[in-house]
Amino acid sequence: MGTTASQLGKDLLSEYQELTFLTKQEILLAHKRFTELLNKDEKDHTARVSMNTILTLPELKSNPFKERICHVFSTSENKDGGLTFEDFLDLLSAFSDSATLEIKSHYAFRIFDFDDDGTLDYGDLEKLVNCLTGETQDTRLTSEEMRQLISNILEESDIDKDGTVNLSEFQHVISRSPDFVSSFKIVL
Amino acid sequence: MEERNDVSLMRLLSEESACSTVSSDTYEYYQTEIFDQLPSIQATRPEQNRSEEQLEHGNLSRGPRDKASTVPLRNLAVCIQAKRDARERRKMQISNIGFWESWRRSQTSSRKRVWAQMGGAIASLLPWQHTLHAIEGRFGVGVKAYFVFLRYLIFLNVLYCALILGFILGPTIFYGRGSNSELLRFGGNDSVLDFILGSGYLDRSPVFYSFYTRGSLDLFCLNTPLLYLAGIFAILFLSVMMVVRRTIVGYKHTWMLGRRHRMNVSYKIFCGWDFTIQYHAAAKLKGSFIRNDIKLFLEEQNFSMREAKRTLKQWAHLYLLRVTLNLLVLSLLGGAFYLIHFATVKSQSTVATNDPLVKLLLQYLPPITITFINLFLPHVFRKISSFEDYSFTMQVNATLVRSIFLKLASLGIYLYFVIIGPPVGPNSPPKCRENQFGREMYKLCIFNFLITFCNTFFLNYPRKLLRKKYPSSFLARLLGKQHFLIPFNVLDLVYAQTVSWVGVYYCPLLPLIGTITLIVTLYIKKFMVLHCCEAEQRMFRASSSSVLFYFMLLLGLLMATVTLGFDLYNFTSKDSFSCGPFGEGRTVFNVTEECVLSLPSPAQSTLRYLASEAFAIPLILAEIIILTSYVSRGRANQKAIERLKDMLVMSSSDKRFLVKEHTTMVRRQRNPHQARSARIEENVPLNRHKDPPPRN
Repeated sequence: MGTTASQLGKDLLSEYQELTFLTKQEILLAHKRFTELLNKDEKDHTARVSMNTILTLPELKSNPFKERICHVFSTSENKDGGLTFEDFLDLLSAFSDSATLEIKSHYAFRIFDFDDDGTLDYGDLEKLVNCLTGETQDTRLTSEEMRQLISNILEESDIDKDGTVNLSEFQHVISRSPDFVSSFKIVL
Repeated sequence: MEERNDVSLMRLLSEESACSTVSSDTYEYYQTEIFDQLPSIQATRPEQNRSEEQLEHGNLSRGPRDKASTVPLRNLAVCIQAKRDARERRKMQISNIGFWESWRRSQTSSRKRVWAQMGGAIASLLPWQHTLHAIEGRFGVGVKAYFVFLRYLIFLNVLYCALILGFILGPTIFYGRGSNSELLRFGGNDSVLDFILGSGYLDRSPVFYSFYTRGSLDLFCLNTPLLYLAGIFAILFLSVMMVVRRTIVGYKHTWMLGRRHRMNVSYKIFCGWDFTIQYHAAAKLKGSFIRNDIKLFLEEQNFSMREAKRTLKQWAHLYLLRVTLNLLVLSLLGGAFYLIHFATVKSQSTVATNDPLVKLLLQYLPPITITFINLFLPHVFRKISSFEDYSFTMQVNATLVRSIFLKLASLGIYLYFVIIGPPVGPNSPPKCRENQFGREMYKLCIFNFLITFCNTFFLNYPRKLLRKKYPSSFLARLLGKQHFLIPFNVLDLVYAQTVSWVGVYYCPLLPLIGTITLIVTLYIKKFMVLHCCEAEQRMFRASSSSVLFYFMLLLGLLMATVTLGFDLYNFTSKDSFSCGPFGEGRTVFNVTEECVLSLPSPAQSTLRYLASEAFAIPLILAEIIILTSYVSRGRANQKAIERLKDMLVMSSSDKRFLVKEHTTMVRRQRNPHQARSARIEENVPLNRHKDPPPRN
């Protein structure tokens, strides 16, 4: 642990502790896992790992929202979903045990907002349902079922009846679910 | 960043252009400027960055941001770099997290983890946790509910065993069995068949009632018969308490779920995925769960929509069909009951044969008949209910109700004939009727278990092998896939437990036998589920069904108590020959009286008052008053909730109206062109600090 700690630097480590929900041990573990993904030559903390490499992590591998997660947490200019170490920490922080419901639901909303327009509209919900049920032809719902389902969702959660679910409506639904916090979790 | 601004620009442009061409009323209220300033909005999301509402003004959003500056930086939903910027904006010092703070924080999180692990450890202390988990993963919550129910019954039976040991077996072992007890020995006419028939050796063993004769413990208020009685009543009382509690808890749960039905689908979609899943197989399974759940929901909804659209003629047609089918069900039930009657009479008629096998068969004729009827008819009911055009859940419930009626009623008829008994010839040797009755229950129990065993290993497993070896053969295709039919399996359990309750008075070791058979059943069913069955395409609703399970158990218990009361009355009133703890002029009814008589007179009179009608009236009155107060309180709360809901709706619609009015007025005053450019300009620098990094 001593060597990894020195690699990360004491100031940086304490700054990360201040800015994320992660503990020291978790940050060090994250750093270790992250440097394993990096190429040998680029060891500085602004180095970016491509999305495909990140997705080989077993914690993300079988998640249907894995690409969306990378895109949401990526600060990359050319929107390829690549993550720096700090982005990676952001990801782990949002999915950690101690992150608040507020943070979790905010990021869940952004993950589900496939077209990044700030509301969940019909297309977003359709993609979301397809991700949940499986994308292949025989697992996805028929278009008739999909239409009925989405109209049900909108009926329930679209409080202001504008045809989309916005963040506060989303959080309203989430806040009533007791097990969201425990299921919206990725721990290394 | 650039791309982000483009997006917001595009949105603004499209909205503005739409608004300028149509009327300003189409402007959605949550996208207005004033929306952010509303106190309610600020209260609900204090630290949120306004990435969703791009219409931020430096001066307008000061309120929320001032509030946000008290929020810890890590609670901001932005990337680390943005948090650093935010810290700079707040002019905070880079607070160095010292050793102490770091230690404290890691302690908090590790304490949290220890708690979670302790909870997990306590949960894993419950036996078969792992088995249940594996089954749930493959077959869904419905099948798991069955196994949880089975485990509950095992616990219940273990508890009964402890009670029996304390109240009945223990005193008998310690204080002996009176003077005229012979030594228990296997030999003479005894054979292994006795273990199945419950006769001979077993008849003299502690399994049955007659073993527990009066011992040396013979005080007025502490003697073996009294303890025997107390043990049995403790068991029945405890079962009533526990089953009722379980039913109520389940009922409350379903009721509350039903109340919140409005949010049902949204939960399923928004909170559906479990992000902790790491394995591909588990992910696939989760996907299919969600899909099945959605499909079930949609199907039920479609059904209710279709139901709402039915014309009068269709209704008439449907009711005619239902009445006919119900008549069919009734006639099937009648036939079944006649068959049981016939079998009972046949088995009780004294046919003189020496062939032990024929004797065995005759002895077991009623249990065999009952079991086969119970095996066969529920499947017929299932087919029938599929014609009745009920919704899927309703179909399951209808089948369940009919089957439980069949099961309990057939058991009841059988019990009736056993209690009435065959006419006793004047020259037949005196027999212990209690033992006889206990023996019948013993046989039912054993036979039920044997059927479970045979069903799995001689029917389901070969079927599975056939399907595996010759998947294309005609027979395999005819039989189709095997599913774990939860209702019928639950029925079996309820039936076995009811028999155990009915028989426990006459056969005190029945709970022990029950515990063993249930544990073996658990393993048999586990084998069957994991090796023979395939997951259902349609999932069974777990929450509502488990209430039904316990409710059926309650029905069984009710029946057991009624039977026991009837039995006690019947046996003690008409029989002169006595065996077991009650003899020598003592009956179930006067053994407590003896105890009371030995008490001092104030206690005696108190007890007599408590047992009299004079006490019943105040008791009933008090109960009525308490109930009334609870009911009225519940109603008042209900009304208050309704009114609060109305108020909520009203105030939110007021808010929407005011916001819209305000926006319309602002826009009329302002040139839309200027407003747009100004807004974009303000947006750019702000976004750089506060926005999360580009989403793509």
